[in-house]
Order: sequence, then C-alpha cells, then structure tokens
Amino acid sequence: MFKWEKVGKIFDPRDQKNESWMQEFAQSPSVLIYERHVRVYFCSRPSPTLDGQYLSFLSYIDLDRENLFKIVNICKEPILKLGAYGTFDEFGTNPISVIRNQDEVRVYYAGWTRCESVPFNGAIGLAISHDNGDSFTRLGEGPVLSYSPDEPFLLGSPRIRKYGGKWYLWYVSGKEWLQTDGKPEPVYKIRMASSGDGINWVKFGKDLIESKLGEHECQACPDVIFHDGKYHMFFSYRYSHNYKGKEGGYRIGYASSVDMINWSRLDEMAGMSVSEHGWDSEMVSYPHVFMLDAQTYMLYQGNEMGRSGIGLAKLDSPKNWIAK
Amino acid sequence: MKWSKLGKKFDPREYALPNNCGEFAQSPQALVISDRVRVYFSTREKDSVGKYISRIAFVDFDKIMQNIIGISNHTVIELGKLGCFDEHGIFPINVVRDRNRVLAYTTGWNRKVSVSADASIGLAISHDDGLTFQKQGKGPILSASLNEPFLIGDAYVALHGGLYHMWYIYGTKWKKFVESDPPDRIYKIAHATSEDGLNWHRDGRQIIADRLNADECQALPTVFHRDGKYHMYFCYRQAHGFRKQSNNAYRIGYAYSNDLINWERDDSKAGIDVSEDGWDSEMQCYPHTFQLDGKVYMLYNGNEFGRFGFGLAVLQE
Repeated sequence: MFKWEKVGKIFDPRDQKNESWMQEFAQSPSVLIYERHVRVYFCSRPSPTLDGQYLSFLSYIDLDRENLFKIVNICKEPILKLGAYGTFDEFGTNPISVIRNQDEVRVYYAGWTRCESVPFNGAIGLAISHDNGDSFTRLGEGPVLSYSPDEPFLLGSPRIRKYGGKWYLWYVSGKEWLQTDGKPEPVYKIRMASSGDGINWVKFGKDLIESKLGEHECQACPDVIFHDGKYHMFFSYRYSHNYKGKEGGYRIGYASSVDMINWSRLDEMAGMSVSEHGWDSEMVSYPHVFMLDAQTYMLYQGNEMGRSGIGLAKLDSPKNWIAK
Repeated sequence: MKWSKLGKKFDPREYALPNNCGEFAQSPQALVISDRVRVYFSTREKDSVGKYISRIAFVDFDKIMQNIIGISNHTVIELGKLGCFDEHGIFPINVVRDRNRVLAYTTGWNRKVSVSADASIGLAISHDDGLTFQKQGKGPILSASLNEPFLIGDAYVALHGGLYHMWYIYGTKWKKFVESDPPDRIYKIAHATSEDGLNWHRDGRQIIADRLNADECQALPTVFHRDGKYHMYFCYRQAHGFRKQSNNAYRIGYAYSNDLINWERDDSKAGIDVSEDGWDSEMQCYPHTFQLDGKVYMLYNGNEFGRFGFGLAVLQE
C-alpha cells in the first residue's frame, strides 16, 4: 500500500493578493521539471461570463525546486487561446497533460464545446510550445482524438506518456448520458490509445478499468507512472449522481499493469483519501504523480472539483519508490 | 455533358410519411433493386420546441423511373440517443450495395450553442435490401480531425478497383458576415479511401477548386465513371444570403478526373442549370447520379432546398 503524507495546499487562485485573471479553480495539475523550478500547469477560470457560465484556460505556477511551497512565478495571462466559432475547444481547455518532446513542449487537452440537448461535449486537442513551455499554439483547429463508433462523445482527461519511443495516451470516453430531473449527467470510462508520433492515434478500443461503483461509475484522470517493472495508475472515480458533495464525490483509485493493457484495480492501495476537515475533506481527485530529486509526489485537487486549489502529498512508503 | 430534365418526380406533401414528417424530400439517393429503384431522402418533422429534425424515408419507383410503386411507412433508421452525433437528424444518407448487404453512410446532426449544429458521418448496414438499417455503434466513423475541425458530412461512397472511395465535405470555418446574424458555415469537398468501408484514410485537402471565392460552400459530391473518365457533380453556393437570393443560391457544379485524385473543375460543362421557371428555377442542389440499364440518371432538389420534393434528369447519349 502507498502511504502519502499530505503536506497541504500549494495554490488557491482565490488567495492571490494581486489582480489576476484567475478567479477560481486550479484543476488537473501536470508538472514539467526545469533546472531551478517545477512548473505546475493547471486549468483555471476567470469569473463567469454574463450567461453565468465558465470558460477554462491553461495556466501555470512555478515552484522553487528546493522548496515546493515557494511560488516564484505566476502565469499572467492564459497561455493557450480558446478555439474559434464552432470548434471543439471554443469554451475551454481542461483537463490537460504536459510533456517534453525534444525542443518542444506539448500539451494534450480536452476541448469543451456547448450543446443543446446535453450541456457539453469534449474531444482531445494538441498544442505545442517552442518557447520552453511559456506559450502554446494549437497544431490544428480540430482535435487529434475524436469520436468513433464505440466512443461516441466526451473524450477527455488526457494523460500523455512516452515509453520506449512510443506515445501513449490514457483518456476517458463517454458511454451514455443519463436523464435526470435537472441536467443530463454523463458516464465515462478510462481508455487508451497509442501512436508513433503523438498525432496519429490508434485506439485500443476497450475500457481498461473495471467499475467498482456499478455500471454508471465515472472514471477520470488516468495518471500513469512506470516504476520497478510495473505501470501504476492513479485515477479518480465517482458516482454519476449526487457527486458534488462528500458522499458521492470523487475519490482516488489505483490500478497496476505489467503490459499497459491488463489492469488490476486495487483502490485500497492508493492510500489517498479525503481529510477529516479542510479543503480536501469532501473529495480528492485528478491525481498527478511524479518523481523529483529522490522523492515521489502527488499533486491533486480537493473539494468542489478543484475550485479551491491544488494540494501536494509526499510518498512515505513503499521505500523502493524513493530514488537511491 | 448534356442532361434532359424529366421533371419533378416526387412531392412529399402528396404522401403520408412516417414520424410526423410532411414537407421536404431532400438529397434523393438511389439503390437499384431487382424489381425497383429505391430512392432515399431526408424529410422533416418539427420537434417540441419547433425546430426541425431530419429523418430518412424512401419511395420506390419502377425501373423506368416513371411510376411510384411503394413508399416507406416505417422508421428506416433510428436517430441517435441523447448526446449522440445523430440525435437531431440524419441528412443525407448515401446507400451502397456491397456484396449481400447495403451500406448506408449517414450524416448525423447534433445541435450546438454558439453555432447551430455540428455533423459527423456514421455507418449503418442493411441485410434486407435497404428496408431497415442497423447502426454500427453509437458514434461516427468519420468526425472532426486536426485540419477538418467540424461539419463532416455528405458522404458519397463507391468501390473502384477494390478500394472504397469516399467523397465528403468538411467545414473550414464559421464566419459572421453580419454582426447581428448568427455565423454562416463554409465547407469544402474532400476525399478518403478505405479497405473495409469502416476505417478511412483521409487525403486531408480540398480537392475541388473554388470558383466563386474562398468562402464558397461546396456540397454533396457524386461520382460516376463513363467514357474513360470520372465525372463529379456537386452543388455550390455563396456562404451568405443563399436562402432568399437566387443569385447566391445553390447551383450544380462539375469536375472531371482521370485518376480519382486530381480534379479539373469546369462548371460550364455541367450540362444542367436552373430552369426559366417552375420548381427548380431558383436553385438546384444535392445532385445524385446513378446508372440503370445503360442510362445515367441524376436525382436532385430544386427551390427551397427540396421542401416540395425532388426531380430527375437523364444524361443524353
């Protein structure tokens, strides 16, 4: 079992003392490691627009590599514009996953569009930075991963990795929209695709993680890390209804695999749950696990789907996760 | 090329159509069966909020294309469920005989908020000579991609040399011509190939040159082989003001090719144009060509995008 020591919240957009475009939310953290600092990319939001709805933009903070609680720089404006009229990412780019590729930095993101019968739809886009991750330009106006016969809508939660020269994308795909008294609610599950260039993808075409909360369990954010001969996946999952509070809200699950295809789900291994009280007492989700300077860390978001910011945890055991 | 017009052949107002459909018989497309020619089209019902939903129906003609001998009184293909790409309509449908089955390439519509709708191409298969179709999955087989960001539709599929070819359209932009109006869509014709009719490789380029301007809309390609050449008919229009002003409305365009790759556009050789007066005097759109007993026919719509039916022409020898 993993044992994490929660070290607290590292960033809350609502706590900023200076004027900022970021008003609420720091969702879907993803790190890029630089020589002197650690850049945490995430998705943040200005105040809602006149219609009461939010747009979500790519943002970052830089943390001192020697002291991850010290923020040395905050993104001053959104670093990826939203898409034009009618495009898949006209209303938001969230969640995101960032990776270095030679001289460039790539961000894979879920684009949001708004629909009439259901509130939204999503597909996965790619944007590239040629200035070491300071600004991004989308590769094309459309998505790199879109709908197919058995992935009919809501492609999202991308997590990009490269193993053995090949690109892997873990993501989620919608299964169905459930009618409710209010807005329809989606069900989505974790899937995978692979690619030689990170642009043209072959979908594996199966749900990877068995559902624990029944057929309508929603699974998100499949964050994969390779260590000690195995692939380890931390992800989030929730009920499809009543998920906005503690009872049905997001929790962090865990699965492992030796081949990236067959996964054993063992949530009790994850070792990461809600706190007694405080900013992550109702839900924990969107885990991102990374290794840095002989330590393994997890970034995650807490209550209200990350409205209140990002927290950090440090791995205490097993000890073989600590670099020698 | 020179076409003889055979007049309007079908008016949806004269028949009882299933699913509360009354007006519109758009984008007629033919399936030749042993004793009849089945012509599929998209008709419309109004939903609870007063918006249109397109649905597929068909009418059967005898083999000289003169008499109507049947009409669909059932749901030919179901619309998609909540949130699916084809929840708000199917328009058009392209049917292709493939050994002992009939493939249907549908354009499914889903309504959006900032723009009116998006479209993707789905596949359904019939094992009863096109009476009913079963969808292959809830999602589309061809949808938005990196350089084709939206509005993927109007598939026309044919087998040439053992390979499936698809001509289709993709959106390039939504553009506001008048600040107070909703944005208008712009779309172009492209080409893809497939070994199984399901998985497609796109060429990723516009294959028919613009004639009006860069904002020209091109739609509904249809291709046939004759006298050593491939002939494509399609329709095209201005991006704005195309509903009411006949000058801006759909016309039928023409291009030819020797290799299915490079197309030479020459609308002056189309050999068909709007009539002086009557049902196809203001616009002509959604051409579909098919061969029957040595003749080449063209089904097409006239004024008001086919609200009052479709007509037929035959290629002169």
